[in-house]
Amino acid sequence: MIAAALFASLVLHAGSVEGTIIIKRRLTKRNVTPTVAAYQRGPAVPLGIAEPDEDPLSFERSRVVIYVEGAGPAGAPATATLEQRDRRFAPEIVVIPAGSSVSFPNLDPIFHNVFSLSKTKSFDLGNYPKGQSRTVAFPEPGIVFVNCHLHPNMAAAIVVTPNKWSAQAGRDGRFVLKDLPPGKYEVVAWHKAAGYFRKKIVVGAGVTGDVDFLIPLGEKK
Amino acid sequence: MRFRTRTFLLSFVPFALLLSASFWAIQDMVQATVRDGVRVSLRENHQSAAKLHARNELQNSRFLKIVGENAVLKAGLQLANANPSSADARLTVEDQVTELCAEMGFDLLLVSDAEGRAIAGVTRSNTVLVRMEPKQLPSTALSGLATVSGRVYQIASVPIDQSYENLGNLTIGELFDLSEFTTPALLLRDGRVIQSNLKGVSYDEIGAAMGHCNRLEECEVRLRGEIYVSVAMQSISLGNGYVLRTLQSLDAASGPVRFVLRRVFVVAAAAALLLALICGILSAKSIVGPISAIVEKLRDSAATGIPAEFHEAPASVSEIQELMESFNRAAGAVKDGRAQLESAYVQFIGSLAHALDARDQYTAGHSSRVSEISCAIARALCVEADVLEQIRTGALLHDIGKIGISDVVLQKPGKLTVEEFDIIKQHPTIGRHILEGVNGFEPYLDSVELHHENWDGTGYPHGLAGEAVPLAARIIHVADAYDAMTSDRPYRRGMTHGRAMSILAECSGTQFDPTLVDVFQKIGALPEGVDRAEDLLKLLTALEPEQARVAEVQQ
Repeated sequence: MIAAALFASLVLHAGSVEGTIIIKRRLTKRNVTPTVAAYQRGPAVPLGIAEPDEDPLSFERSRVVIYVEGAGPAGAPATATLEQRDRRFAPEIVVIPAGSSVSFPNLDPIFHNVFSLSKTKSFDLGNYPKGQSRTVAFPEPGIVFVNCHLHPNMAAAIVVTPNKWSAQAGRDGRFVLKDLPPGKYEVVAWHKAAGYFRKKIVVGAGVTGDVDFLIPLGEKK
Repeated sequence: MRFRTRTFLLSFVPFALLLSASFWAIQDMVQATVRDGVRVSLRENHQSAAKLHARNELQNSRFLKIVGENAVLKAGLQLANANPSSADARLTVEDQVTELCAEMGFDLLLVSDAEGRAIAGVTRSNTVLVRMEPKQLPSTALSGLATVSGRVYQIASVPIDQSYENLGNLTIGELFDLSEFTTPALLLRDGRVIQSNLKGVSYDEIGAAMGHCNRLEECEVRLRGEIYVSVAMQSISLGNGYVLRTLQSLDAASGPVRFVLRRVFVVAAAAALLLALICGILSAKSIVGPISAIVEKLRDSAATGIPAEFHEAPASVSEIQELMESFNRAAGAVKDGRAQLESAYVQFIGSLAHALDARDQYTAGHSSRVSEISCAIARALCVEADVLEQIRTGALLHDIGKIGISDVVLQKPGKLTVEEFDIIKQHPTIGRHILEGVNGFEPYLDSVELHHENWDGTGYPHGLAGEAVPLAARIIHVADAYDAMTSDRPYRRGMTHGRAMSILAECSGTQFDPTLVDVFQKIGALPEGVDRAEDLLKLLTALEPEQARVAEVQQ
């Protein structure tokens, strides 16, 4: 499972936890099946869902959210924005502490229909055209998947964290969880396709701890 | 025209006519058979195409049913139905339609709302999808074949339902392209050609050629010199005034058969030509050979004047045999006629000579005796038969000129004066003048005119010498002299044979041709004790059949 820090609880004497997300292969399934058109009439018409130009692994790493399970000081409620633009949700991942709200402005010239069937929070904002916006509050922690009824290709995830300790990995996979009082914690790394990865750590005072996640499980470092 | 050419033509022309007629008839039959075959094959093609079409339709309808169950499209249509005047809602649906069209690869995709109004449409131009402007959208529901934005599509539709509620209609279209057809085909709408896969032929040209065809009837079309059978596809309903016709070239279909037929015909014609040539030559040979033999003979007889007679039987053809026999009969008749004519001549001349001789009892029989003697000499010289005849007649006539001499002078007893003798000397010239006017007497003129010319040129009337005087005249000269000497005259008796012979011998070389005198003496040698001129004549008459012996003696 975990290579370097396999299940061994690490005793760290620091106020923050740093770590690296290691991903060695692509996780997100892109649409690789050519359309009918490609077979019959030449190349399909591009619809704006081209592969990102960046390195696919750094793309995967930046889509990992790390947070600490369990109770803790609540984060300051914020109002995040999840735009609908060019038939995409932007950003695709939003990390907010519980109790925050997210507004869904439609910036496209066409209707969108934002909804979620997630247990954490299910909602349906109905059809609304360009310029209009709807706002949804997320009081409970959990992960909420957001879709558009009119455009099945549109998908986003809202990670509602239980406390203020949360981070989104950078393109290099690095992340920092700050201001952790000494104690035992369970750190969770979540990737939409790979799922949850949990590690128990002990944080000591004034010590910066280090925890690495190798995603997905079973990979050799 | 030569007979060979004629027989060749006569035998070849019927062959050629028969062959041409049968070739034409067979070609016509082949054409008709091929035409029927083409029709049947076109209809069968249509039936199989129709079956295929029906199966495709079924498959398409199932497939369309699935496409119609597209939740996204349903959501879009619900949105559009809820916001009928919203441009954004229309745009949303259009966006969905575009995406669907790109994924499915249709050439045309149209969506109409619950009220049947088309609200969004996309067409494919090459590989690029083009969204249709609202005003470009068709105002009525499409089916079968339909023209949208100037292009012909094959249309299929499916309703989009949400439980029992109809949300709208989805219409898909595939470009109708005849170039995919392997057989020549035309698409017509209301009688006008709008598509064709005939390369290099303009629609106008095809339209003009199709002018006489009724909408759905089978017809024949002449395009660029080629005949096509055109059958309208009736088993597939295209609707909207569209008619699909497939064509098949009769010429192309019958081409191989015609090629074989032509080759057979050429071979048959060559064989017939050869056969006719051989037959012509053979049959011509069987006729031309004998005929040319006949012609050759007739040409010879024309040259010689002797009518031809055919004794051999060179011809197996009975007609030619008959022709020869007729020729022989005609030749016989001519010969008989000529013989009669000749004998009439001879009789006439004989009576003329007799008449002449009868004027004077003393000269009676003179002409015929001279003729006899002359003939004897001529026979001894082995002259040709016609020359002998010439001498015989010439001798009979030799004194004819004496008709113009007065009896006083002619029958004067006793010696003649110089003047009287000059008158007598005129008789050869007078004789010539008399006979000159008579047709057929030309051969005797010389004998008559020149029978008093002497060998040494001292004779009259011209004083010719030696062989300048014709043989006949020289012979007659000898015979005349002999008979004159041996005949009795009023004033003297005739000489004896021996005496006359010796006088002839004396004058041989001066008055007479010595050769002739020699010959005469040989044939005129009488046995001992016989010395009369009558005996000589008897001898000569007896000698006549023994001409061969005389010839021997001469040699």
